[in-house]
Amino acid sequence: MDPANTPLGKMLLEEITPVIMVLNTPLVEEACLKNGLSFIQMLSPFCSFNNIDVPVRTASDQPYRIKKFSSRLFYGSDIRQPNLEASKDRLKQVITQASEKDISELCSDPPQIKDVINSFESAILPSWFHLFNKELIRNVSFSEHEAFDHPVACLLVVSSRDDHPINKFADLFNTSKLPSLLNDGAMDPKIMKHYLLLHDNQDGSLEKASKMLTEMRSTFGSNDCQLLCINSSHDGHIERQDDPWSLFKPDASIGKQLGCFLSNEDLIEIRELMQNLSSKHIIPYMEQKIRELNQQVSATRKGFRNQIKNLWWRKGKDDAVDSPNGPTYTYNSIESQIRVLGDYAFMLRDYELALSNYRLISTDYKLDKAWKRYAGVQEMMGLAFFLLDQSRKEAEYCMENAFNTYLKMGPSGHLNATRCGLWSAEMLKAREQYREAAAVYFRICNEEPLHSAVMLEQASYCYLLSKPPLIRKYGFHLVLSGDRYKRMDQINHAIRTYRNAIAVFKGTEWSHIKDHVHFHIGQWYASLGLYDVAVTQMLEILDCNHQSKATQELFLKDFLKIIQKAGKTVKVLKLPLPKINISSLKVIFEDHRTYASTTAANVRESLWRSLEEDMIPSLSSGRTNWLELQSKIMSKKFKESSICVAGEPVKVDIVFKNPLQIPISVSSISLICDVSSKSDETESGTNNIIVQKNTELKLSSDWDMGSDNALYTLSEVHLSLEENEEKVVQLTVTPKIEGILQIVGIRWKLSDSVLGFHNFIDNLGQKNIAKGRQKAKHSLADNLKFIVIKSLPKLEGSILSLPKVAYAGDLQRPVLELKNQSKFSVKNLKMKISQSRFLKIGNQESMNKDFPACLEKPNNREQGVHPIPSTTPNDTFLFPQDTLIQGGTPLLLPLWFRAAVPGNISLYVSIYYEMEDVSNIMRYRILRLHYNIQVLPSLDLSFQINPCPSRLHEFLVRMDIINKTSSEIFQIHQLSSIGQNWELSLLQPVDTIFPSRALMPSQALSCFFVLKNIHTSFSSEKKVSSVPVLLGSDLKLGPQTSDEQLFDTASFPLAAFHHSERVFQGTSNQDPNTVDFILITRPLKNTTDPGISESSHLFSHHVCHCSTSSHSPIWWLLEGPRSSYHDFSTSFSEINFKMTIYNSSDSTASIRIKTSDSASTSEGNETVPQSPNSANQTGWHYASLTQDIKVSSDVLGTQMGKSSSLESVSPFIWSGTSSTTVQIEPKSMAEAPLQICIFSPGIYDLSNYILQWELLPTAGSENIETTTSSGTSRGYPYYLTVLQST
Amino acid sequence: MIVCVAVVGHQNNPLYIQSFTEADDALKLHHIVHCSLDVVDERVNNPRKSGPTLNETFLGLLYPTENYKVYGYLTNTKVKFIMVTTDLDVRDADVRSFFRRFHAAYVDAVSNPFHVPEQKLQYQVKAIDDCSLQTIVDYCHLSCILDGI
Repeated sequence: MDPANTPLGKMLLEEITPVIMVLNTPLVEEACLKNGLSFIQMLSPFCSFNNIDVPVRTASDQPYRIKKFSSRLFYGSDIRQPNLEASKDRLKQVITQASEKDISELCSDPPQIKDVINSFESAILPSWFHLFNKELIRNVSFSEHEAFDHPVACLLVVSSRDDHPINKFADLFNTSKLPSLLNDGAMDPKIMKHYLLLHDNQDGSLEKASKMLTEMRSTFGSNDCQLLCINSSHDGHIERQDDPWSLFKPDASIGKQLGCFLSNEDLIEIRELMQNLSSKHIIPYMEQKIRELNQQVSATRKGFRNQIKNLWWRKGKDDAVDSPNGPTYTYNSIESQIRVLGDYAFMLRDYELALSNYRLISTDYKLDKAWKRYAGVQEMMGLAFFLLDQSRKEAEYCMENAFNTYLKMGPSGHLNATRCGLWSAEMLKAREQYREAAAVYFRICNEEPLHSAVMLEQASYCYLLSKPPLIRKYGFHLVLSGDRYKRMDQINHAIRTYRNAIAVFKGTEWSHIKDHVHFHIGQWYASLGLYDVAVTQMLEILDCNHQSKATQELFLKDFLKIIQKAGKTVKVLKLPLPKINISSLKVIFEDHRTYASTTAANVRESLWRSLEEDMIPSLSSGRTNWLELQSKIMSKKFKESSICVAGEPVKVDIVFKNPLQIPISVSSISLICDVSSKSDETESGTNNIIVQKNTELKLSSDWDMGSDNALYTLSEVHLSLEENEEKVVQLTVTPKIEGILQIVGIRWKLSDSVLGFHNFIDNLGQKNIAKGRQKAKHSLADNLKFIVIKSLPKLEGSILSLPKVAYAGDLQRPVLELKNQSKFSVKNLKMKISQSRFLKIGNQESMNKDFPACLEKPNNREQGVHPIPSTTPNDTFLFPQDTLIQGGTPLLLPLWFRAAVPGNISLYVSIYYEMEDVSNIMRYRILRLHYNIQVLPSLDLSFQINPCPSRLHEFLVRMDIINKTSSEIFQIHQLSSIGQNWELSLLQPVDTIFPSRALMPSQALSCFFVLKNIHTSFSSEKKVSSVPVLLGSDLKLGPQTSDEQLFDTASFPLAAFHHSERVFQGTSNQDPNTVDFILITRPLKNTTDPGISESSHLFSHHVCHCSTSSHSPIWWLLEGPRSSYHDFSTSFSEINFKMTIYNSSDSTASIRIKTSDSASTSEGNETVPQSPNSANQTGWHYASLTQDIKVSSDVLGTQMGKSSSLESVSPFIWSGTSSTTVQIEPKSMAEAPLQICIFSPGIYDLSNYILQWELLPTAGSENIETTTSSGTSRGYPYYLTVLQST
Repeated sequence: MIVCVAVVGHQNNPLYIQSFTEADDALKLHHIVHCSLDVVDERVNNPRKSGPTLNETFLGLLYPTENYKVYGYLTNTKVKFIMVTTDLDVRDADVRSFFRRFHAAYVDAVSNPFHVPEQKLQYQVKAIDDCSLQTIVDYCHLSCILDGI
């Protein structure tokens, strides 16, 4: 790459060019100003030539040609070191001007980082950097230590209107008027002079001017004098395609055209003048000067002898002045001459020559400690190396050296250092060493923020341009630069840098940095009044839960402040506060299925389906639903859509979350909906998009529309969210007309000032398209689309006074209330309850009675005649045919609720009804009710029944109650036995065992009862019916004197619940020898638990299938005297006993009574009977037998042990046969005589006998496998006291 | 003094940044760590192919800023550790040993069964990380001081 074509090369060719000093008279200026230009401005465009083609011969003999050449024009007064303050202002002006240009661009979206990386350098770098850098470099122009700014020639201009032009020329070059630099010896005042006579054609004819010219020529020499005629155009309307001055005077006022009086001939003349000046005068002059100086330098400095001499001479000067700038050199000192030689050679592009001369003096300056000059020379060496495209390292080293030397000088060298840095950065950039360039830019930042801002920004672009791009550093330097711009109130620039930085940080997780950038850029936009953009930026930082609470507060406050300043309600799509959980979106709508409560709607559809299976008419059986029936009416397209009814709300549940640690208030949350009437929608689906677009448009217009309009009604919700709080919001839309309802999105107002909205469909719809699965999956848009049909009657229902929390056993009477607000009636009501164990339908009459008095047993005691209410086999309750509900009058239906088992119980109630009005699309609807009830454990009740050892058909019942509640006190009221005619009686008076009747929390109680089978006829005539008639006996567990009524366990609710309990607690009711118990208790005092209502309570506890029979089907009773007197002195005593044996089984039993006299029975501890391996039993044996035995054996086992110990003391013997066998028919009794012989007085336990029984198979022997076919029973304890008679 | 340590995930996402200064310079440190990733990327993409450094996890001095030195370390799961120090005269061996300890602490932290890979370490392992990290940093300070003597 040609170094001259690089930006730096171009810059050098432009900047390091011969300077022409212009001295003119005021009249010259005046003539030029007619065109809106100064004299220099007029000439400037014609100073640079791209194809001048001048042969040049410098020190060497070989000439070369210069194609490009330019020169710089300066007024004499300007040839001085620029004023720092003025230059600062100029720099600032450049920046400010640049910022004003691209304000519109600032508002656009930040670019994508990928695009930025791939774009070209020219596209990235703002063009004004060039201008800025140029200005910076000009700051150090006309320094004394550099010769390239020394004027090469002087152009003296006098107007033809001036009097005595010759004198004027002399005056102009008067030393007193010359710039001080020329006078004080820094610059060579002996320069080439060129005389120009300017003639304004408007002033008169050329004659006078030509006369003057001849006069001048005679005075100054013919070659050096020239005449320039301008303003040849009189009308001032010269139109030019390309304005040559536009580049040089960009800030010109638009109204006035530059150079309006300059005709094309004038321009040509000017160009010729300048070309002539350059090629014929300046270049030859410089050549000549170079040769001259070169000779001089060669004579004094070149060669071995001169070098030695020089070195020695310099050494000798060591103790000379050591001022910071080193010794002063005048223009005629040899050092300055060498420098001039180098610079001239540089300007004429003989870089070799320049370099050799720079080298020559650089050592001298170094030895002289003339640091500034040394640095300047080093700088030029670097540039010369660069332009020669030699030795990169050398070039870099020189630049580095120069830079460091300038810095070493302290503040005075900073400006030079800056220039040096800019050049070296450009040099590095030209060689694509962007990272190094960036480092250089970074180094030339100084305290002045504006300056360093620009430098940092340039550095950042270098990072971006480096390969591979260092994007993060790019971002960082942009941010640094933006901060400095901001400090200097260059908001536009600050925004520009931050805006570019956003591109870097976008999509990363560096939220700390991102927040900072967005926050500040947002504030800056706001300060410029660009509130819309400000708001979009601030939106990025709202979701900042990673920040501290204070920062969150600050962000939110500033955001709201900006919103406030904007002065209007701002609408924001995707406002991040609060967060919406789209996946939580839940739509509840009612077609033929209606719900009494939200919880009912949340229940799985399949659950309801299975519950309603039988109720729904058979037409819709199978997979079809009613919609398919109506497919003729409905267009097929909407088969998939959901149905809703006009006038009935569609509910949408959605979760709002506050991600911040500060509370926020959200108000006016409502849905955005679109309703189109039916006629529109018969068109094809293509207008869906149009509909959506319409809604988008509507969003903007509808914002202030109230929640009411002709098409639909929306609900509004206001809420405030605490820190990190999540809330479910239920929103409703109620369509008013038939047609299509589309739920589009949701809107809300944050802190009463920002309107946020969120479009459901956009989000997910697009996602689906992207996945290409739209067909497979029902899109959200479809799910949010509803066909609105004509309004229908709708049944509303609720169960009044159903408790939320109840103790197990609690019996209550809630009421089902059904209402229909519309004037059309509904009919054919059916109801189904999922848990009939918990809920029963009562009859209408009981509504009027008090609870629990209605359950009390009537005084005229009629038993067991209450029929159980009619229920269809599948428990569907049919309302009376004439039930019609309409017009808001409620239908009340009593229900009975009993908390059957502890746990969380879900009750599902489904009510089917049909429309009276048949013309409707929907024939029937279903009302679904759902209740959750928490049932707490209350009393733990268990019964144990043992046959009474002393009496046949009597049993001892042990009731164990434990109060499992923590606070509740129960009063035991009544125990009822239900079963085949059982009679229950107290073993002891209640007052003795249980005086208080109150069961304290966690108190356990056992009490005993006697249960008597009053079924006297032991025949099998009475069969157990499948639906048992609930007969039983009730026992009041209270003071007999009290007037408390017994509750009728056989009446409806208790009996019905009992029936359910029976079904649930046991699988079979085949065994007739079971008894069911109902314990009725009442809470003693009002509970402290507020969850349970204060009304009067009744608790019923049902224990079913308590088996009375032990494992044996055989009952027996040993009857005989309990005590006897006998005179043992005469003989032993013989006592007779009678054993009555009852066979309770259905088959004939063969029973052997075995008595044993041995003291210890070998089978004594073997309570488990031998497994019956009898021949008639094949395969299965009833394994659960052991369990049955254990229940009853613990009593017997202990007695057995006792008895054996007794026996060992005083034996007695069974007389008569030791083994008697009897055959007993089913359900019949037999008697067997027994006799014992006693030899001494004492107390005897006569339990050492066993009954071996075997059931003989009957004809229908298949059904006996559940009962024992044979077994052994031990004798009951029977104590006999025998006393010595006297 | 160690000013800041950071863990950066393999997507160049910050996992953990902890500064040990009293001053409110979180933003600055974030920027420094973020910028140093450029250098890490560069080192990873143009590894020095010479033998001993081939499998080296320690990336060395990433870049010197005005007041800080930034060192990097790259685990075999492409998780980067960045350490920012104000010590201008730091021996590589010290930094290496710091990173080794820090790596061990990191492994402990992510061995938490409840840790989700690529999730910020700030919350769930704060307790573990903080205390062990503090000890490591303290230890390194101490050893630096001892070295100074």
